[in-house]
Amino acid sequence: MLQKTLSILLCFSLYTLTFAQNTFQIKGFVADANSLQPIEGANIISNNLYAITSSEGVFTIKNIAKKTYTFTVSCIGYKSKTFTVNATPKMEAITVYLTESATELNEIEVQGKTKKRELQESPTVSYVVSEEFLNKNRENSLMQTLSKIPGVSTISIGSGQSKPVIRGLGFNRVVVVQNGIKHEAQQWGSDHGLEIDQYGIENIQIIKGAASLLYGSDAIAGVVDIQPTKTPLKNSFNGEVNLLGESNNDLLGISAGIQSRKDSWFYRGRLTYRDYGDYKVPTDKINYENYIFELDDNNLRNTAGKEANASFSIGYISDNIKSETFLSNVNAKNGFFANAHGLEVRSSTIDYDSSNRDIDYPYHTVNHFKVTNNTSIILNNHTLHLDLGFQNNHREEHSEPSAHGYMPKPTNTKEREFDKNTYALNIRDAFSPNNQHDIVAGINVEFQNNNIGGWGFLIPKYNRFTIGAFAYDQFEINSNLHFLAGIRYDYGVLNTKSYFDWYQSKVDNSDGSTSNVYLQRAQNKTLDFGNISASMGLSYLQNNTTYKINVGKSFRMPLSNELASDGVNYHMYRFEKGNLNLDPEESYQLDIDIDHTTELFSIGVSPFVNFFENYIYLNPTSNYYETLQIYEYTQSKVFRMGGEFRASSTITKNLQLNLSAEYVYSNQTNGAKEGFTLPFSPPLSGLFTINYQLKDFYFLNKPQLSASYKIAASQSEIVPPEEKTDGYQVLNMSLVTEMDLIKNNAPVAMRIKLNNVFNTKYFDHTSFYRLIDVPEAGRNLSISLTIPF
Amino acid sequence: MKFTLKYFYFITLSLLMLSCSDDDSVDKDDQKPTISINYSDGFPQACEQLVKGQTYTFKAKVTDNKALASYSLDIHNNFDQHTHDDQGEVCDLDPIKEAINPLIFMENYSIEGELTTYEINISITIPNDIDTGDYHCSYSVTDTTGWQSNTSIDIKIIE
Repeated sequence: MLQKTLSILLCFSLYTLTFAQNTFQIKGFVADANSLQPIEGANIISNNLYAITSSEGVFTIKNIAKKTYTFTVSCIGYKSKTFTVNATPKMEAITVYLTESATELNEIEVQGKTKKRELQESPTVSYVVSEEFLNKNRENSLMQTLSKIPGVSTISIGSGQSKPVIRGLGFNRVVVVQNGIKHEAQQWGSDHGLEIDQYGIENIQIIKGAASLLYGSDAIAGVVDIQPTKTPLKNSFNGEVNLLGESNNDLLGISAGIQSRKDSWFYRGRLTYRDYGDYKVPTDKINYENYIFELDDNNLRNTAGKEANASFSIGYISDNIKSETFLSNVNAKNGFFANAHGLEVRSSTIDYDSSNRDIDYPYHTVNHFKVTNNTSIILNNHTLHLDLGFQNNHREEHSEPSAHGYMPKPTNTKEREFDKNTYALNIRDAFSPNNQHDIVAGINVEFQNNNIGGWGFLIPKYNRFTIGAFAYDQFEINSNLHFLAGIRYDYGVLNTKSYFDWYQSKVDNSDGSTSNVYLQRAQNKTLDFGNISASMGLSYLQNNTTYKINVGKSFRMPLSNELASDGVNYHMYRFEKGNLNLDPEESYQLDIDIDHTTELFSIGVSPFVNFFENYIYLNPTSNYYETLQIYEYTQSKVFRMGGEFRASSTITKNLQLNLSAEYVYSNQTNGAKEGFTLPFSPPLSGLFTINYQLKDFYFLNKPQLSASYKIAASQSEIVPPEEKTDGYQVLNMSLVTEMDLIKNNAPVAMRIKLNNVFNTKYFDHTSFYRLIDVPEAGRNLSISLTIPF
Repeated sequence: MKFTLKYFYFITLSLLMLSCSDDDSVDKDDQKPTISINYSDGFPQACEQLVKGQTYTFKAKVTDNKALASYSLDIHNNFDQHTHDDQGEVCDLDPIKEAINPLIFMENYSIEGELTTYEINISITIPNDIDTGDYHCSYSVTDTTGWQSNTSIDIKIIE
């Protein structure tokens, strides 16, 4: 972050405003020749003329005379380029592609390293998602957008909610970090998504592998790290409005953001509102077991939703200190498919089909409030980072009350309520004693308090305290060979609270009589866990090829539901039983990443091998409790392997091809489900994308046409109660372009997308609705406009 | 040439990765058991009317490819019409009403001896002091692997 800020400042120090009396102007765009992504802060210099590119890579030189100019385009980390233009009244926009300088800029030392170079040197196998990618690929939820990255998929429920899955593992095995603080929602539950506004995010780092070392418990399968946005430039004010419309679920969305900075102080703010109706599926009826649900006009009834988010931050930056305080609130209400929420089939007198926008029972409301502070202080060769966070996640699930078993019909609709407060503190010191070592040491402390309500019981009330300390060193053996090693210890205490049913159940006594008792579902228990994580890796850069190898041990503390559940999950129509004797999950993983990138093509492969000592798994047993099948949390050894393959090639300047494939194999090697895979295993799949840069067309500048074709193999590796899923092929198309609608302003960006072009009926094996045979969404046309100001 | 070689190397590596993953040493059971009342002795049939005080024998046939494990029978009221059967027949339902003393029958049984076919046979006397009206009767069966199947039938209990 510091290096990035410094290099932008460096680029900027050359910038001066000049004025002349003439009327012509030169417009242009500077992009990375390889990634085709815009370069921010590049200098465009001629004799008396200067310009600097915006975050969109755009520059304008106004008021120039009618003559020939030679400009030099330069930016740190790139080779400078020169171009010559004749200033005429009707000039086309100039596009300049800069190539990254192959040699390190020794004279600027560490500050001269590009973000890309830093990532290449780090032995951690990670993937960086840019704002450009997010803008181009934006789907209905953040995770659906990210699922285009090989190795990343989602478990989604309906059209608006999804949670991250990395190489087939999800829920609490993937950590989502926002602004340095672990996002704490109700990750363990399958029927809700991430409560994060997907607008206003610039950079996301994805780690596909064991990352407990840096992120603590839960980062056993990977991390989605939503990084703080860049500090705005000095004396700047800018903003944007995003408008979005979608045909499939009649979505209307608006998001507006501003950011400004005077000298040292800066602030940003954003408001987002989205409202959508039921989504359409390419079928008029759903066959689930022996039931048939007729759909009205292909609408998956009661899947409408709305979302309102607000965020504000204020920050201070000087030479040695940077601090930003961020406040956000995400609020959503989502309906669930009415005929079967979970596995149980329900009928109702509610007229769900009277409108496709109303949200009836069952639905949930969720509110996530977050306040974080990130402060970094530079003291000589130390950089101290402090992250402080408070989060409140409040979720309520409402459904039509109905008697179940011995439970009489409840008097209200509030089936479940969870109210979780999380307090977090991270302290981290990055220290470079010399040019060879980068040592980082830190402490993470987290306290969590979870309260429950409603007439359904699933997890108990609990308090959880965790503390972890870590240190790692990245050692530069030579400029192309880097070694990283680190170790961490975590300790956690979990305190569960007892819970008794609010109604009586009939119990058989040993003497043959029966009595009515309030059954105890959870006990007062204090459990503590301690575990070591470690990681070691090497990276080697050889010309255009980067080799990385990383081996790590990660762990995950059992959750309160895994330990102390003891109740009926009516949605899943099963009895879930925890196990207080569970050990922390331990996993060993070997990651390899080989990447070869030249100007014209890039190819990479990232295989992994993973072994779980004691994977915690909700095992369907053959026994019943009050006529419901008992699912019991158990542990088993699991072997996993797989990886991703990616290739891209620039055929001509205008034509780019991308190919990626992902595969995961999992096998439980002992226990009750020996020989079976893990639940929600993604099938082998590939994504083929063509990008074609068209010529400017009337008011459309730089129109780019993309087609992406996804091929997924069938998934026959299943575990009860899953169903085998057929393979599928689906085509998505998009057109991204810019329009100069407002003179002398940054261009308006437009994106037209057509998802599922052929309205193909297919099933996504990792979708929550797959269990009840609901296919994926049908054809969807979406139009999005981003208007900067 | 260099490019082709590298390409070949990567493809081979990824193919290797994929190819060595298809051996499953354990013979996995990936089939659910079946459950049916669609035979002459199957009881109750859709829309069946049961009289208070009478004794009935509930019968269903269950099968599995490997070994059956347990079954359960659940009879609960459907006075609020929250659920319906999967027998494809539409029964006439009484008006919606509140439950006062509904019949609750929930029993679990195990099937010993790793059988692949079995006939469920449960004798139930309908008590005299319970609410009459619409009821729902559901059978469930599991196999030793943990696969489950259900079937549900709409019935009516009358005076």
